[in-house]
Parts: sequence; C-alpha cells; structure tokens
Amino acid sequence: METTHEALLPSVARGDTTAFESLYDRYSSTLYALLLRILSNPEDAQEVLQETFVKAWTNAKMFDAARGSEVAWLISIARSRGIDRLRSRKIRGDRENDAGREISIHSAFVESTTGADKAVQSQESSAVRSALSELPEAQRVALELAYFEGMSQSEIAAKLGEPLGTIKTRMQLGMKKLRERLQAFK
Amino acid sequence: MTHEEFEAIAALDAIGAATAEETRMLEEHLASCESCRRARDEFAEAATLLARDLDPVAPPPEVREHVVDIIEEEEAGEDNVIDAGRRFINPWWLATAATLFLALWGWREFGIRVARENIRTQQAQIEELKSANALLQDQKQKLSVEMSALAAPGTRSIALSGQQISPSASARVYLEPEKRRAIVFFQNLPSNPKDKSYQLWIIRADQPNPMSAGVFDVADNGSASIVIENLPVATEMKALAVTLEPRGGVEQPTNTNFYLMGNS
Repeated sequence: METTHEALLPSVARGDTTAFESLYDRYSSTLYALLLRILSNPEDAQEVLQETFVKAWTNAKMFDAARGSEVAWLISIARSRGIDRLRSRKIRGDRENDAGREISIHSAFVESTTGADKAVQSQESSAVRSALSELPEAQRVALELAYFEGMSQSEIAAKLGEPLGTIKTRMQLGMKKLRERLQAFK
Repeated sequence: MTHEEFEAIAALDAIGAATAEETRMLEEHLASCESCRRARDEFAEAATLLARDLDPVAPPPEVREHVVDIIEEEEAGEDNVIDAGRRFINPWWLATAATLFLALWGWREFGIRVARENIRTQQAQIEELKSANALLQDQKQKLSVEMSALAAPGTRSIALSGQQISPSASARVYLEPEKRRAIVFFQNLPSNPKDKSYQLWIIRADQPNPMSAGVFDVADNGSASIVIENLPVATEMKALAVTLEPRGGVEQPTNTNFYLMGNS
C-alpha cells in the first residue's frame, strides 16, 4: 500500500530537514486522527503528535524498511505514546473531566498534503476499509478496545461481559484476518 | 510452546493485548526464531490498519511550526560548532588555530556522540526496566488473584473427571461466584498436537450452545491452568467440558470427544 510513496525516513536519518517536513505533511493527519481517537482531547493529541515527530527525527536511523512500512513505524510510535499518556491521565483522574468534550474535527481533511499524496491516501483508505469491514463486529470491537483504549484482555472481557477465553480467541482470529488481508494487498 | 502458539501471542502483542508474561516469553523466543519474528512484524503492520481506517484530521498549523522549530534548533546546535571554528582564520595563527580547532571540534563531536550513545543506552535500559516492572506487576496480580480465589470463604470447587478418551485426566475448578471468576487446574491430560488447542466449554442452562471459557495448551507433564473471568451466574452453569479443537480455538465445538467433564 505504501509502495507508491518514496520513503522519507532514510533521508530524515541523514539529517535532511526538508525530508522531515515532507514526512510531517504526509503523515501528521493520520497520526493526529489516531491520537484524537485514543485521547479524545485535542491539546493532549497535539502534544503527543509533537513528541512523536521529535522521536521520529531522533530515531529515524532505527527504522528498518524490511520489518514494515514507514507509516506503520510512525503509527507504532504515536500509538505507544498516546496510550502512555492515556494511562497517566487515568491515574491522575483527569479522564472524567474530558468525557464531556465534543470533538467535531473529522471534517477537517488534510490541507497540507499534495495531490499525489491525497490520491494515494484515498486508494489506501479504501483498501483498509475493505479489510476492516470484513471483520465480524465482535472481533472488531475487541480489537479496537485493545488498540485504542489500551485495555487488557481481562478489562475487555469485563466490559463486554464475556469470558476471557472468548475475548482472546476473538482478538486472535481478528488479527489473523487482518494479517491475511495485509498480505493480499502486497 | 509451538511456533503457532507464539504467533497467537504475537497477534495479541501487536495490539498491546498480550500479558506481560506472554510478551516476555515471546521476546525470548523471537531472539532465535526468524519465522516468528517475521510473523510478529506482519501482525504489527496489520494492527496499524485500525489506525489507517480513521478519517485523517489535519492538526493545527502551529504544531507543524513548533515541531520544525525544535528540529531546526537541534540542527543549529550542531552547526554552531562549525561556525565557531571560522573565527580563528588568521594568517599568523592559521596552522595552530586549525590544529586546535580540529582537535576541539573532534573532541566536541566525540563528546556529543558519546553523550547521545549514553542517552540511547539509558533510554533502552529504562524501557527494559519498565517492561520488567510491568511483567512483575502482572505476575503479582495473577498470583494475588489465584491466592484470593483459593482462600475466599465463598469459593467452592468442582471436579472434572477424565472421559473415555483420557480416563486418567482430571481437573479442579475453584469458583468464586461473587466475582464470577474461576481458576482451573488440569492434570494428566495428553499433550495436544501442534495444530490443536484444548478448549474449555461452559454448558449453560439458559442457552442451547456451549460458551467458550478459554483455550489452553498442556505442558509436557500434562498440567495446565487458566483463569476464567466473567463467568455466567452459577445457576446458569450446567456443566463444564473440555474438547480438542483447531489451534487458537473456535466459536463452537467441532466434536463431542470430551477429554474432561463435570457438573457444576
């Protein structure tokens, strides 16, 4: 899915700030959407987005294209930092304060991307939605609770009122299907 | 554990849902298994599909400006070292100054590199300690759950006996009705083939189909244990049974060859 993009991280690793700015323009909207989904708070999402790109700049040399795509590497950093922030916020008990906040930002699509990037994003988005729409609802819900809410197997089982074994099986089957679909894209 | 079992853990690990103990076992195995490393990477990539399914949202422009400022300041910090050397250009002092400059510059560069390497090493150590701490917390929690379940006054036990296919097998279920939780210890079950898993089923009085309570594998000594959360209330549980199913478990049992069975 990412093969139509020229990889930028190798240039970023050599200290190319122009490549870094292109990297930001290409992926910031995807990462920001993810962080908003995890944190439900624009201020926190913006802070973590900033941390994510600074870490990408510092650690670009550690990116290994043989292990996965550029966007997946960035998403992993953003998701990990987002979940860390979510957990620390839960500890502080701030979550309740944010519960009522309404975010109406989904209509603000990426303005900074180029036409070519938009075409690739649109093509990719369609393929991704196709993959996810094939998942049974129960599997998708379990995966999303783990991925976006950072919930453990036990917490998901408790939330859904299902035995732990059922939840584990659902998540494993769901991930197997996503992996098969990903291989089909390649 | 088999490669398939490690792949199943890798699937959970990719979405952050593996327990600390599972992650530790997986990391140990990955150190020497190329095919499972590849599977881990593929699951990690597949997990990002969940994020890529979201509608992109443009962050405010000031975030971009701030990020770029930080990066440029970092770059400028390194360039200043070079600029400082140019002030020494003087025909009389050129050779000495150039030598001194190169020595200082080299020393500074070396210092920066060493400092960065130290920071990376320390960050890696911090991450390792965090993982180890999470693992210990997880183990502590698991032990605490098991101990409290066994010691709770309301805990009752149910014996599962071996059936025709495995007459020497047995299991004991320690049930905490108030918490709707149970711990099951299995003994003398035959080792499951690599492409199969044992699956525990709850047969409910209020539903026609059995409900999966967990998938497990048996160690070489024939033992295993699992924790079941969110059990149906005791009055709804009619019986418990164990079958051998395809690796990773299934939604409904595919056969009636019971290895263990017992009434609740």
